[in-house]
Amino acid sequence: MTAPVPPDRTDLRILDALQDDIPLVPRPYAVIARRLGISEELVLERLHCLREAGIVRSISPTLEPQVAGLAASTLVALRVPDERIHEVAAIISSYPQVSHNFRRDHPYTLWFTLAGASAAELKGVRSEILLRTGIPDTDVLDLPTVRKLKIDVRFSFAHDDDQGGRDGPA
Amino acid sequence: MDPRDFELLALLEAGLPLVSEPYDEIGKHLNLTGSEVMERIQKLRQAGIIRKFRARINQRKVGITANALVAWKSAEALDGTMGSLLASFPCVTHCYERLPVPGRWEYTLYTVHHGFTREAVRAEVRALARHIGARDYVVLFSTEEFKQVPNVRIRENGRLTG
Repeated sequence: MTAPVPPDRTDLRILDALQDDIPLVPRPYAVIARRLGISEELVLERLHCLREAGIVRSISPTLEPQVAGLAASTLVALRVPDERIHEVAAIISSYPQVSHNFRRDHPYTLWFTLAGASAAELKGVRSEILLRTGIPDTDVLDLPTVRKLKIDVRFSFAHDDDQGGRDGPA
Repeated sequence: MDPRDFELLALLEAGLPLVSEPYDEIGKHLNLTGSEVMERIQKLRQAGIIRKFRARINQRKVGITANALVAWKSAEALDGTMGSLLASFPCVTHCYERLPVPGRWEYTLYTVHHGFTREAVRAEVRALARHIGARDYVVLFSTEEFKQVPNVRIRENGRLTG
């Protein structure tokens, strides 16, 4: 197997273009290609590689949680001893209510999100996780979502370039 | 939402096909034309069911390895406006307000930041803090990803029945 080729400038420009909504036209990749001044074939060829490399997870719609019946959500942090991190993380990740589960550089080592139909459902899942892992209540922070003020994931891929302007408010 | 919409969203969840006419390709599985697929997507978007339709990118694999959740204590001087102020910064990709744990964890606002180095992210957060006059915050860098999937996975946890 050949080593993966790091993304070049063309790849990064394609990735950047894909941070906007995909055009709803018969040939959306041709529209992106035209915008970038390259061919549709090249866009598709690069996209296959980027997906193969796991850089593009997928091009897919983000659905509104409320509409999907996910009315309640919370962020939970656990103080887990280092030697138990992987075991505890695996139990947590196994729940469909969990979408994000990260280790973080802090005494509260594990941070995960829960989403469900109601606060009661989330409480049930949290209790079950604590029971299964033996983590005491005193090592838990449960931080229910009050308001989502912003969700707009957009990366600045060009790290050599001047990033002036990104520090100030919009 | 009808059963076809559900099937359509379930197919799109796996990703728009990387072919010249991807909506036609999706339509083949649903006995719909490409135009009908696009019309349905447009309606789902107008109904607010589809919020965005973009690439999901694993930024760590292009070198953006410094990813931080920052927890902020709300500054009284900002009188409830700190959240919307934080959200207005382009470098902030997520901004949430959460309940605190009184006496143990008083932070109520959370932002997410991404960069190529921890120093770059720290500098960005420092500049932001200075700009809005916030003093009390904690930067939580992620060191390992155990799970990272969309909030709504239509077959796994979606309840789109309406």
